[in-house]
Formats: sequence, structure tokens, C-alpha cells
Amino acid sequence: MQANAIPQGVEIKGSSLNKVLMWLTRFVITITGMMVFFPVLNPGRISTLINENASLFTTAISYETITNQMAYPLRRGMVEPMNFYLLMAGAAIVVLGILLNCGGACMSLGNNRMKRVGLLLPMLGAAAIVGGLVLIHHAYTLLEAAAAASASAFKRIQPALPMGLQVFGVAAVLVFLTTLLAWLTLPKEREEKMEMDEKFRLFLLFLPVLLLTFIFCYLPIYGWRFAFFDYKIGDSLTMENFVGLKWFTYLFENEATRNDLIRVLRNTLIMSGLGIATSWLPIAFAVLLAEVRSSKFQRLVQTLTTIPNFISWVLVYAIAFAIFSTDGFVNSFLRNVMGVTGANTDYLASADWIWVKMLLWGTWKGLGWSAIVYIAGIAGIDQQLYEAAKVDGANRFQCIRHITIPGLMPTYMVMLLMSVAGMLSNGMDQYLVFENPINKSMIEVLDLYVYNIGIKSGLIPISTVVGVFKSLIGVTLLFGANGISKAVRGESII
Amino acid sequence: MSKKVRNHITRTPGDIIFDSLLYIFFGAFTLLCVFPFYYLLINTISNNDAVTAGHVNFYPIGLHLKNYIALKDVADLGSSVVVTIARTIIGTALMVIVSAWAGYLVTKQKMWKRSFMYRALVITMYFNAGLIPWYMNMLMLGLTNNFLAYIIPGMIAPYNIILVKTYIESIPASLEESAVIDGANTPTVFLKIILPLSVPILATISIFGAVGNWNSFQDSLLLMSSKPEMYTLQHRLYVYLNQSSNLAALVSGSGTLSQAQADNMLSSRVIKYTVSMVSIIPILLVYPFMQRFFVKGIMLGAVKG
Repeated sequence: MQANAIPQGVEIKGSSLNKVLMWLTRFVITITGMMVFFPVLNPGRISTLINENASLFTTAISYETITNQMAYPLRRGMVEPMNFYLLMAGAAIVVLGILLNCGGACMSLGNNRMKRVGLLLPMLGAAAIVGGLVLIHHAYTLLEAAAAASASAFKRIQPALPMGLQVFGVAAVLVFLTTLLAWLTLPKEREEKMEMDEKFRLFLLFLPVLLLTFIFCYLPIYGWRFAFFDYKIGDSLTMENFVGLKWFTYLFENEATRNDLIRVLRNTLIMSGLGIATSWLPIAFAVLLAEVRSSKFQRLVQTLTTIPNFISWVLVYAIAFAIFSTDGFVNSFLRNVMGVTGANTDYLASADWIWVKMLLWGTWKGLGWSAIVYIAGIAGIDQQLYEAAKVDGANRFQCIRHITIPGLMPTYMVMLLMSVAGMLSNGMDQYLVFENPINKSMIEVLDLYVYNIGIKSGLIPISTVVGVFKSLIGVTLLFGANGISKAVRGESII
Repeated sequence: MSKKVRNHITRTPGDIIFDSLLYIFFGAFTLLCVFPFYYLLINTISNNDAVTAGHVNFYPIGLHLKNYIALKDVADLGSSVVVTIARTIIGTALMVIVSAWAGYLVTKQKMWKRSFMYRALVITMYFNAGLIPWYMNMLMLGLTNNFLAYIIPGMIAPYNIILVKTYIESIPASLEESAVIDGANTPTVFLKIILPLSVPILATISIFGAVGNWNSFQDSLLLMSSKPEMYTLQHRLYVYLNQSSNLAALVSGSGTLSQAQADNMLSSRVIKYTVSMVSIIPILLVYPFMQRFFVKGIMLGAVKG
């Protein structure tokens, strides 16, 4: 009766012990939740033949991934498909339990009444996790029994008790204990309705976005670990193939890779340098276009020169192929219209002037688009400035020199600093599509090099090392450029 | 525009020369941007023998559309078109929904740890772990050789979230406040008030998103290595362009050529051109709509979030 007498709007605070336990519960649940995505901790890897890159989550959703090395024993009837369905079901139940945990953790941000209900979920979840683990263990026992049939069956199945089974078991017990303690220490008074503070409600609504960002943008940083291991795709990371900083020193001490790196850096810096050296072109384009008297013509030029920006680099290459290949426009024009016999040069196969050619393709694709921001900038300049200058007797070149260009400078500085900061990232699409054996050594920029050695040649560790350096230098350059911008213009660019 | 002011000045001979040079320069550059597309087009609709002989340079000869019809027999092209259309529609729709929702929520000053989370989102535009770690991450998540790899990572587009946030901040706060007083909760306010008012910015990001999805090449190249039927159209075109063997042999049923087909033989060059046209045409179709939006999009981006 006393509890009902609490007037609405009065906040009921829990004891400080309860608060600590609450945070502990949420922490344990978060860690357990993340464990789902780490293949090392996958409790479902009940055979060494199950893909070591499969996490518990993958195990729960993809039959193909867990059985792709089991085709033979499955075909020969050494193991039943049922066995793997059992495994998947077990994994799915564990994932379900973890979802219950997370639901409970979310509800624990509410008022005491909501906490009291919400904390029941993780207790249920912990039970589900244990149940799922028992199922997985049962699948393992079945697999072991199948493997025991003969030596050849054992070789084909290779059952193994995954470490994840114990880890998840311990995690489930921890979740259960912390939740139970937090639940027991909840204050006795209760509110009328389940409610949650708005700040937490908004946070929870935003949480899915944050999780996606974490998984796809921050989790890859965990992939930097490959730089410290002797690793080929399909291997597993163990302390046996941990090599410390071997690849970092190898990159500089091995003559071949060092020369490669120097060559690739030269290409990268030349391409970026050419880009920066011509970064004034869009301004010139915009300023000159504004001088054209017919506004219809202006609009036509702006519309048509922007089109190339919206096609992919593959299509740019298709166009280059149509124009410059052996039977392309240039050659057939020379042969059939100009009467030059034997004009059949494949311009795409040569490495002459390749850097300038790449720059020209980039300009063809991007000039009209990059000019738009300056065209908009010119439209935003105060007309009174021009009128005043005209009264003072300025001609159109003086107007450009003293009004238009200074007006566009702040935008240009931002663009310039951004391109300096992105000096090492030329992107790989353009260079990949134009790459061929003849021009490879001249066209291979850093991004393409990483792709070529990492994906094509499968040298994961060394390409990761290059990537790590590139990321770190990139961030340093960005902060440097930002610092310059802050010091000079009093404004940051990021 | 500034030129209106200067129109009153009488033109000197120097001005006239300068103006003519401007017209010549811009005319030439515009032609340079448009001609390749025109050249591709006339080579796909002209008589294939004339194309092979190199006579189609400036105008089409012997119009026909058989090349486009013949594409239905080119191996693997159909599945690529379907996959690309599917990812363009689904991927763009999900990206727009997430961007709108996230962009709205980050305008909420009351949110717990708002600025921290917003920063965590924005940093990802400037920093990434690198290609190989990203690839290994996708491998770890089981998102290789899997259609979901085209959809899920693309849902988070920090730049678009910033655009939406900036736009929503310009909507008068009083509209939202009055709805809250009437008892609307956050999702209701979002659906009934914010969403209808943000249609212009959502249209902008959806068109850019659709073009990006249509042009996607890198994720297909990296992630679909053992599922050729899931290559995107651009990846498929890249494969064709690099195929030195006769592509025309890919056209199934080439064993029994009818007389009409034999007269108008498809060369692999023409197939390459025609597939290129097929991937360009949708871009050219949405281009007029896009044009309305991109100045707005760029200018909004210049206003920092």
C-alpha cells in the first residue's frame, strides 16, 4: 500500500550498490554480445574442418559455410546433415539468448518498475545460452561418434571441442549471477508505470545505427592483427604463427618489396601531385563560364560536362576502349577518313605519358562536376561589389582578379587541404581498369598495390602492414591540414 | 548573375575576341564530354558489318536494334542486371531510411552522449582501417559471396546522415514542439512531421545513392569471387572488356546461325559497346532529375554538420 502512495514525478533512485551492479550487468552483457562476432570464440566450431573464419552468428545462419569442407563425408553418409542442423539450431538458440540479454540491458535503463521486469530477460537469456550450448555439445558427441567409425572417417570429420563452448558457458553464468544480484538489490518502491528517461530512450533508438557503424567501420581495425601473424587465407591465427613485427621490418629490409614500395609511392605521389597542380582548373572553368554571355549556353555546358562524373571508371574504360583501341574511333578515323593506311596503334597498351593520360581522364570525368561548387560560389558573391568596381572603372579582367577569385579562395583552400590530406588515397578503380602488363609498373598506385598483393597474390600480412601505414599517415596528414587551416583561417575543415 | 551588370558596357574588339574564344573553348570541351557517348550509341545501332569495317564514325549506317535484343543470349548478363537492379532498389531504400532516422536523432540535444556518438559516426568518413582489414572483416562476418554484402554495409552513409541532419536543423523547431505537446512520441513526430518535410533532401540522397549502387564495382570485385552470377553489371562489363577470346561465341545458339544473323554478325567489339550502353542508359535517364538536386546537395555539404 505504501508503494502506491508515491506521488508521480518523484524520482526513485536505487542504492549505489545497485547502480554498480547494473553497470556490471550491462558490461557483461555487452561483452557477451560482441563475442558472437569473433570466430576465435565460436562455440559452434565442433570440427577443425569448419571454416575458422565463421563466427557464431555465421554458424547460426549459414549451412553452406559450416559444411563447405564436409562435402565428402556428407555425400558418403559418414555424417548426417541432421547433425549440422542440430549445430545450427544450437547456435541460433545461443544467439537468441544473447538477444534476450541485450533486450534486458536496454530495459535496465528505465525506471525501477521497468528494471524489475527487464532484468528477468537476461536470466532467461542465460538459460537459453546454456541450453543452446548443450545442443551444440550434443552435435559434437554425434560427430565424434561418427568419426569413431573408422580412421578414414576420423580424418574426414576431425571433431574437436571448441574453446568457445567453455567461454560462452562461463559468460552465461556471469550474466545470470550479475543480473540476479542486480535484481535482488533493486529498491522495493515501485512506480505506477514503466517509463524511461528521454535521454536513454533516444539513445536506444539510435543504438542500431551505432551498432552497424561499429561493425562495418570500427571492427575492421581488429583486422590489423593479421599484420603480426604468418597468415594465409584459410589458416587460423595461433600463437605459433605469431611473428611480431617481422612484416614491418621485412617491408623495408627485403630489397624486392622495398623497391616495389618506392616505385608505388612514386606513382602515388606523382598522380596526387599532378592532381594538386591542376586543382585550379575547376576555378578557371567556373570563372570563364560565368563570363559567357548567353545563360542558355552556360546551362547547356554545365549540364553536359557533368555527365561523365556519374559513370563508373569501368565505363570510362569502355569509352577509352571505344575511342583509342586498335579498331577504335581514332584509328578508324585515320584509316577511313584521313586515308592513313596501317593506322592501328593500340593507344591503351602503351605506357608513354601514362601519368598525364590518367590525369586527363580524371579531368575529363571530374572537371565539370568540380566546377559546380565554384559556379554556385560565384552566384553567391555580392553584386554590389561588381557595380562599385564598374563605377570605379574596372574592366572585366580586373573584376575577376579582384572580386571573383578572392571570393572563391576560402572554398578553394578547403578543397586544396583536403586533397593534400588525401594524398596517399588515389582510389584504385581508375588505375585498376587501365592497368595492363605494359603500363603496370607506372600505373600501380598505393591503393592498387594493396589490392594486387593482398587479394590477387594473397599476401595478407604484408598488404595489411602497407594498409596500416597508409591509414596512420593519412590521419596524420588530415590532422596536419586541419591544424594549418585552423591556424591560418581560424576554421577547421573536418 | 554578375554578367547582367556588365552587359551594359559596350563591347570592345578585345571583348568580342575573348567572348568568341570562350564559346569555342566551352563548345569543344562539351563536345569532348558528349561525343564518346554518341559514338558508342551509333556503333550499337548501326549495321554491324559497317561497324566492323570502321565506317561508322560520325553518323549511324543502317539502323537496327538487333544488338540489344541479342544481349539476352549473352551468358551471365541477365543475372548481373537483376542483381544490380535489386541492390539499387533495396540498398538505396534502406540507406535512405537509415540516413533519415539517424539524421533526425542526432539533432536531438537531449540524447545521452549525443556529441560523442555523432563524432564516432563522422570520423568514419576520414578514417578507415584499409582495404585488406575491411575484406577480412567481411570474410569474418560471412558477407562474402552473399547478396547481403551489397545491402548491409551500404546502410550507413555518414555523409548523407550529415546532409539530412543539416536539413532537419533548418526546419522550425516549433512544428515539432507543438506535436510533442499534443502527445506525439519520437517515432510519430518523425513519421508525421519530419519525414514529409525532408522530402527534398531525401530525394537528393536517394538519387545519389541509386547512382552509386548502379555504378558499384569494387565490392563485387572483392567479395563475389566464387559467385560469378552475383557480379554487378559494372563488374560483368569489366570482365567482358578484358576478355580477349571472342565474346560473340558467348551468345548461345550461335551453333546454328540463321541467314539474317549471319548477315549481321555480332562482333565481340559490338557486344562490349552494347553492354556499355545498357549500363549507361539508366544513368542518362535519371540524369535530368538528378541535375535539379546536385547543386543543392553540394551546397548543403559545404555547410558543415
